[in-house]
Amino acid sequence: MDVGAGPNLMAACYGAGAISSLLARWSGRLAVGVGHMAALAGALAGLGASLGMLLGAPGHTLTQALPTLFPFARLSLSVDGLSAFFLLVISLVAVAAAIYGPAYLRTHSPDAGPARQAAQVLALNVFLGCMSLVCCAGDALTFLLSWEGMTLASYVLVVSDDRNGENARAGLLYMVMAHGGTALLLVAFLALTERAGAFDFEALRMAATGLDATTRTTLFFLALGGFATKAGVVPLHVWLPRAHPAAPSHVSALMSGVMLKVAIYGILRFAFDLLAPAAGPLPSSWGWTVLFVGTTSAVLGVLYALQQHDLKRLLAFHSVENIGIILIGAGLAMILWRTEGGGGALATVALTAALLHTVNHAAFKGLLFLGAGSVLSRTHVRNMEELGGLARHMPWTTGLFLLGAVAISALPPLNGFVSEWLTFQALLGGAGRFHGPAGLAIVFSAAMLALTGGLAAACFAKAFGVTFLGRPRTPHAEHATEAPSSMIAGMVWLGALCVALGVAPGYAIRLLDAPTGLLLGGPVASAVVTAHGPLVLSTALTPSGADGTSISMTTVAALLFALTAMAWVLRGGWWRAAPRTAPTWTCGMSPTARFDYTATAFAKPLRLVFAALYRPRRAVTRETAGTPYILRRIHYAGEIVDLAETEIYHRVERDISALSQAIRARSTGRIYGYIGFVLGALFVALLLLGVVYR
Amino acid sequence: MTGGRPLGLVLLEMILLVLLGPLVTGTIQKMKARLQCRQGAGVLQPYRDLAKLLRKSTVQADTASGFFRSIPLLVLAATVAAGALVPVVRVGPPAVPLGDAVMLLGLLALARFLTAVGALDAGGAFGGMGASREMTIAPLVEPVLMMVVFSTAVGAGTTELGTLAAHRGTSWILGWSAADFLGFAAMLVLLPAETGRIPVDNPDTHLELTMLHEGMLLEHSGPGLGCMVLASHTRQIVTLGLVSALFFPVGPANGAGATSLLLGAGRFAATILVLATYLALVESSYAKLRLFRVPQYLGVGFVCALTALALRIL
Repeated sequence: MDVGAGPNLMAACYGAGAISSLLARWSGRLAVGVGHMAALAGALAGLGASLGMLLGAPGHTLTQALPTLFPFARLSLSVDGLSAFFLLVISLVAVAAAIYGPAYLRTHSPDAGPARQAAQVLALNVFLGCMSLVCCAGDALTFLLSWEGMTLASYVLVVSDDRNGENARAGLLYMVMAHGGTALLLVAFLALTERAGAFDFEALRMAATGLDATTRTTLFFLALGGFATKAGVVPLHVWLPRAHPAAPSHVSALMSGVMLKVAIYGILRFAFDLLAPAAGPLPSSWGWTVLFVGTTSAVLGVLYALQQHDLKRLLAFHSVENIGIILIGAGLAMILWRTEGGGGALATVALTAALLHTVNHAAFKGLLFLGAGSVLSRTHVRNMEELGGLARHMPWTTGLFLLGAVAISALPPLNGFVSEWLTFQALLGGAGRFHGPAGLAIVFSAAMLALTGGLAAACFAKAFGVTFLGRPRTPHAEHATEAPSSMIAGMVWLGALCVALGVAPGYAIRLLDAPTGLLLGGPVASAVVTAHGPLVLSTALTPSGADGTSISMTTVAALLFALTAMAWVLRGGWWRAAPRTAPTWTCGMSPTARFDYTATAFAKPLRLVFAALYRPRRAVTRETAGTPYILRRIHYAGEIVDLAETEIYHRVERDISALSQAIRARSTGRIYGYIGFVLGALFVALLLLGVVYR
Repeated sequence: MTGGRPLGLVLLEMILLVLLGPLVTGTIQKMKARLQCRQGAGVLQPYRDLAKLLRKSTVQADTASGFFRSIPLLVLAATVAAGALVPVVRVGPPAVPLGDAVMLLGLLALARFLTAVGALDAGGAFGGMGASREMTIAPLVEPVLMMVVFSTAVGAGTTELGTLAAHRGTSWILGWSAADFLGFAAMLVLLPAETGRIPVDNPDTHLELTMLHEGMLLEHSGPGLGCMVLASHTRQIVTLGLVSALFFPVGPANGAGATSLLLGAGRFAATILVLATYLALVESSYAKLRLFRVPQYLGVGFVCALTALALRIL
C-alpha cells in the first residue's frame, strides 16, 4: 500500500466512527461497539502510516490537498518526520484506548442512556481525528480548525462522564483556559499569515525569514503561551488536574498521555521550523524560558501530585511534571541548536531525550490512567483513602499499575529511566559547554530533575501502596473483582511498550531519526545515541567526542534478571515449604484496616518539609462526652493550597469581579448611555490605530 | 574503549562487593563497640546472622499480597546489580557497557522503592511509617548525590564511574582542587544518610521514634529477611565504593597480572576502612537528629555540593 494513503485511511476511519455512532444512537451498545472498532481501525491506520513514514521514507514530506472549504484558503495536509512521530505517539495510545473503552463504558456507567453513550463515542472519534490532523496539518487554517475540534471534543468528553456540578465547573474552566490559549495562537498565526498572504506552512516559513528579531521573539512567546496553556505548564496548569480526571478513564489516558503532546508538537514546530531564523542559533531567550518553565513545572507538578488523594487527580498532576521534563530537553535543544561546533551532537541528544520522553510518558501515563480506570470501574471510588487491598482481587491491574509506577518514577530497567538518563546526559554536556552562570543554571536544572525523580518515586510508593496493598478500607474495595479481559488487554499493550522501550530503547531511537534530522539538520538521533549498536546507548559530551558515557539497558536488565533468579535459588527455590501466615503485629491489638498507613499520613513528612510551598492548613475538632477526658470522636480536616491558584488566579478573579462591579454601577439601562460608550470606544480605537499606523 | 575491564572482572568485583559487604558492617559495629568501651560482637557476626536467617522458615503477614515474597529477591538483585557498576580493583570503562553513576543511583532507588512498597504491603503502621520516612529522606538525598557526581563528571565529560576513576588517576588529597574538597565534604554529609546511619537513621533499632529503614523490614522473616539484610550490607559497601571511585585513587588502569590486581584490592580495602572508621566515629559521637531536622542537615551537603559545582563550572 502506498504510504500516502495512510492518513486518508486513518481520517476516514475516525470519520466513519463518528458518523456511525451518531447513526446508531438508538442503541448505546451498538454505538459504543462500532465507534470503538472504527477508532481502533483509525489508530492502526495511523500507526501503519507513521511507521511507514519514519522507517520507510525518513526525510520525505507527504503533502496532500484537502477539499476547498473556504474560498480564501487552500487546506492541505503535510506529513513530515515530526508529524509522523507525533502521529505515532497518538496512535499508540489510541490503540490501547480503543481496546479498553467499550468494556470500561459498560462497567463504569451501565445505566447511561444510549444518547449519552453515542455522544461519548462520537466525541472520542472526533477527538482522535482532530488530534491526528493537528499534527498532520499543512496550513494554519487546518491546524487551527483541528485544534479547536480537539478542544471541543475533549470538552464534551470531560462533562459527559458523571454529570455533576464539579465536572461541569471543570469543563467550564477547561473551556476558558483552552480558548485563552487558542486566542494567543490565533494572534501568532494571523500575524504570520498576514505577512505571507497565504495560510500554508511553506508560505509562513518564507514570511518568517523576513521578520526582525523583536517580532520573531514576540510571536514565539505568543505561540509558547498558547501551547503552554494546552500543555498544562505551571502556572497555566490549573484546569488540568480538574478536567483530566473528570473524563472517562480511557479519555483521561488520551488527554494526559497524548493531547498534551500535541502542544509539545506545536512548540517544536514553531521554534525549530516556522519561526526559526534562516541561519544562526535561536534567540537565547527562547530556550532559556522553555528550560526554566520546564524545570518549574517538573518540580511543582510532582510536589502537588504528592499531596493528592484522588488517584486520577494525582496522575493528572504527574502529567504537569512530565511535560516539564520534556520541556527541559526541548529547551536545552533550543539553547544548543547551531551554537556548537563539530556537528551539533549535543542538541541532538537533548532533542532525542525530549522526544523519547514524549513517547515514554504516553506509554506509562496511558497505562496508569487505564489502571486507575479499572479500579474506578470496579469500586466507583477515586479516593485512595477508601481503597486498599486490591492486589488480592485484581492481580493483573495491580501488576500493570506497579509496572507503570516503576516506569514513571524513572527507575531502571523501564522506559522512564532511559529518557531521564538522556536528559541528564544532555544537561551535563550543556553544563560543560557553557561556563559561568549559564552552566550553573543548567546543572541546577539537573539537580531539580533528580529531585523530581525522587519525589515521583515517593509519590508512587504512596499511590500504589495505599491503593493496592494492605487491607481493604471500605466494602467497595473489599468486593472488587478483576477488570474484564479487554480492559486488561489494553493495559498489557501499553505495559509491553514500557518494557520494550526500557529494555531495548535502541530500536525506538531509530524512529527519532526523521524528526531530529528534520528539526536540527545535524546528526540524527541514532547516529549519536546508538553509535555503538542498538543495544548500547552512548553520548559523547566533550567536543572531541572522546570519553563518552555508554550504558546498556539490555545488559543491565539481563543482569537484574539473572541476579533475581540467583537470589531465588539462594532463598531455597522450589524446595522451600510455603510460608506460615500470621496476623501483622499491631502491638497486641487485633489488626484492622485502621492500622494501615493512610495516604495523608504517608505524605505528611514531605508536606512539612515543603510547608513553604504547600501552606498546609489543618483543623482538629474534638467531640467530648460531657467531660474533656472522654473523647467521642476526633475530626481531622487538612488541605493544602496550589500557590499558582491562590497567588495568581484568585487575585485575577477578585480584580475582574471588582471591575465588573465598577462597570455595573455605570450600566444605567438607558440606551443613550450605551450608544455613548460605543462611540467613545470607537473614537479611542481609531485614535490608537492612527498612532500605530502613522 | 581500550584498557577496559572485561566482563569477567566486572562480575568478580561485584561478587567481591557482595561478599565483603557484611564484613564492613561487622567492622563498623566492632569499632562502635570499642569506642563505647564495650567488647562487642566479632566482625564476622553479620555473616552468622545471615546464615541463621537463611536457614529459618518464613512467617508472612496474612494481609500481604503475592508480591510480598518476591520483594526481597528484587531488592537484593537491584542492589547487587548496582555493585556491578563500581570499579573496585581497576579503573577504566567495562568492556561490555553496563551503566554509569546515574544508573547506579537509579538501581539503588529501585531497591528503595520496592522496599517501601513491601513495607506497605503487610499493612501495619510500622511499615508505613518507615516507608513514609524513607521516601521523605531519599528525594532530598538523591539530588545532592547527583550534584556531587556531576561536580566531578563535568570536568571529565562522562558519568561512567570507571572512566571517572581513571581521570582521577592516582593523585589524592595533594592533587585535589577546592571543588574536590567541597564535593568530598558534601559526600561526608550524605554518607550517613545514604547508608542509613546516625544522625539520619539508626540501624540498630526499629523503635518508632528513630527508625527509617529497619521499620520497613519488620514484616520480613527468614530467608526473605536475610535477602533484605544482605541487600542493606551491599548497599552500604556500594555507596562507599561510589565515594571511592569519585574521590579516591582506584587501582591501575591496565596493569596486567595478579600483583596489580592485588594492589588495587588493597587500595580499595584501605579506602573502605577509612570511610568505615568515619562512619563509626560519627555514629558514636552524635545523637540521632529529629526527623524534621534532617532536611537542614542535608542542606549543608547541598550547599557544599552547589559550591563545588559552581567552582568547577565558573
